Amino acid sequence: MIGASLFPTVGDSEERANQLILWLLDNIIWPIVLLAFVIFSVLLPGVFSSAQNIQFLLFSSAALGMLVLAESLCLLSGNFDLSIGSIAGFSAMFTALFLHEWFPGMPGEVGILVILLVGATIGLGNGVAIGYFGINPFLQTLAFFIIFRGAITILSSLSVAPLPGAYTFLGGSTIATIPGLGDLGPLSNVPVAILVLLALYAIAWYVLNYTRFGLAVYAVGGDATSAKEAGIPTERVIVAVFVISGALSALSGLLFTGYLRAATPTLARGDLFPAFAAAVIGGISLFGGRGDVKNAFGGLMLISMIQIGLVQLGVDAEQIQFVNGIVLLGAIYLYAIESRLRARVLSE
Amino acid sequence: MASADRLAEVADADAPIIEMRGIKKSFGQVVALDGVDLTLEEGEVLALVGDNGSGKSTLIKTLVGVHQPDAGTISIRGEERTITSPKVAREYGISTVYQDLALVDTLSVAANMFLGRTPTKRVGIVRQVDWAQMNERAEEILRTRLNIEVDTTKEVEFLSGGERQAIAIGRALVTDPDIVIMDEPMSALSTDSKSKVRELVRSLNDEGITVLLISHSLDEVFSLTDRVTVLDNGRLVGTVETDRVSKDDIVQMIVAGEMPAGADG
Repeated sequence: MIGASLFPTVGDSEERANQLILWLLDNIIWPIVLLAFVIFSVLLPGVFSSAQNIQFLLFSSAALGMLVLAESLCLLSGNFDLSIGSIAGFSAMFTALFLHEWFPGMPGEVGILVILLVGATIGLGNGVAIGYFGINPFLQTLAFFIIFRGAITILSSLSVAPLPGAYTFLGGSTIATIPGLGDLGPLSNVPVAILVLLALYAIAWYVLNYTRFGLAVYAVGGDATSAKEAGIPTERVIVAVFVISGALSALSGLLFTGYLRAATPTLARGDLFPAFAAAVIGGISLFGGRGDVKNAFGGLMLISMIQIGLVQLGVDAEQIQFVNGIVLLGAIYLYAIESRLRARVLSE
Repeated sequence: MASADRLAEVADADAPIIEMRGIKKSFGQVVALDGVDLTLEEGEVLALVGDNGSGKSTLIKTLVGVHQPDAGTISIRGEERTITSPKVAREYGISTVYQDLALVDTLSVAANMFLGRTPTKRVGIVRQVDWAQMNERAEEILRTRLNIEVDTTKEVEFLSGGERQAIAIGRALVTDPDIVIMDEPMSALSTDSKSKVRELVRSLNDEGITVLLISHSLDEVFSLTDRVTVLDNGRLVGTVETDRVSKDDIVQMIVAGEMPAGADG
């Protein structure tokens, strides 16, 4: 449910009970996140729930979080985007070469503009093809997924570093390095990437719930034909969604570059499916028009907690993939139950 | 954009509110409309009937600016107008309730009613959707003009067929129109909902709104309308006053494409 009301309102008591159940199922990710946190805290006493670990959890989620946001936006509009990881990797490599080899000495701030522009431009390609030419989003973004992953190795098969400090600042620095900011005590060591992560989710939530554009995204995702008849410029909305998705993917590439202190040829490779999984686990519908980015953030937290918690428990990477698969399957079944319940409530 | 403003521009107070003359429209080789006339008098309920493919929908889409006519004129209160889009039609006071209702199931009642025309307020430097105003105005339109009590924050998918139809009509009223065009409003409804929607059409008309009703159902036509315009194969068969003809006369007009004996045009 979007809009002002937090809880479903009025109706007879049975209807109210049904709506409450649906509301709980819509937001089920948060009790699950809490439960996972408690379980890992018990299994890793004194380690998992420490402030330092929570900070690390958020820091290491930031770059993936941008991809989750990019994917969530596409899903809400009734589309999807397989190319987000490739856009992140390509824009990061392109911009690293731009700063390091093509125009050495160029300020890092210019690099930030370049990377966002590269991502947005690739997104524009996706959006125009899908919105105006009616190309199937799966095929269009699959092609871009392959093309831009391949293009990275054409650009460079080696990592590119060092890069200007202003460029890696968002992804790799702490609050203490922000100029003009005094001593903030323990907060000084908080990575800037965490602020970026929290700010972007807050902005996305606000835009989707409180702007005409956000309402249009939900409308196009819910029923594109009706949205068009109601006067929503559906093609333009789809183009805008993919441009933003491309820019968010590039931002992910920027955060990864700062986190790794280099642009690597494998940057964001294999991150498409975790991003997809986090969005779906967070209740963003694959069919469009349903879901809330604040819950996608919950999905991101769950995926990241499992990753970090299992590593700390000494589980190896292959086995972590196995657990991730199980969690995704669980989420899919849970939302299948929810949509059946919704159908039952609707048919009454 | 109140209707009073539009009335102030009236060129000829006695002219019909809508007058379409000699409308022609072809799609490739197919002639959909071959010189059709349609007159809508202020305050009436006019039925537009005819078989599938008779040109009803094309005529309406031409009136609201979805299609542009190949030939012919459209006058509103005696002034010839070019209507290039449904948005322009709304500015002239013409609202349409589509047959498929054009509702987005996953959005709330209020969001649907104001979709494409969402009220906003300034908050700092941003223009933010004014949910409170939207919910309130939606609730008010439904309660005072359609006599329907619905929780406007509820998603449309939770509503019954009749309620959905009411929301679609409510949406048409948001722009405060003089004319509401309804395309087969009762075709997919249960008997209960049909009688509810009938009441809605009557109450609209009681408020002085002119209604153009596209219909398949002769019961509907005879219980609601003042006059009936019949199309056949892209041609105008004729327009008759509803209480001066029988159902058989209308059937004859639809099927045979001829005016019944003794009826005036």
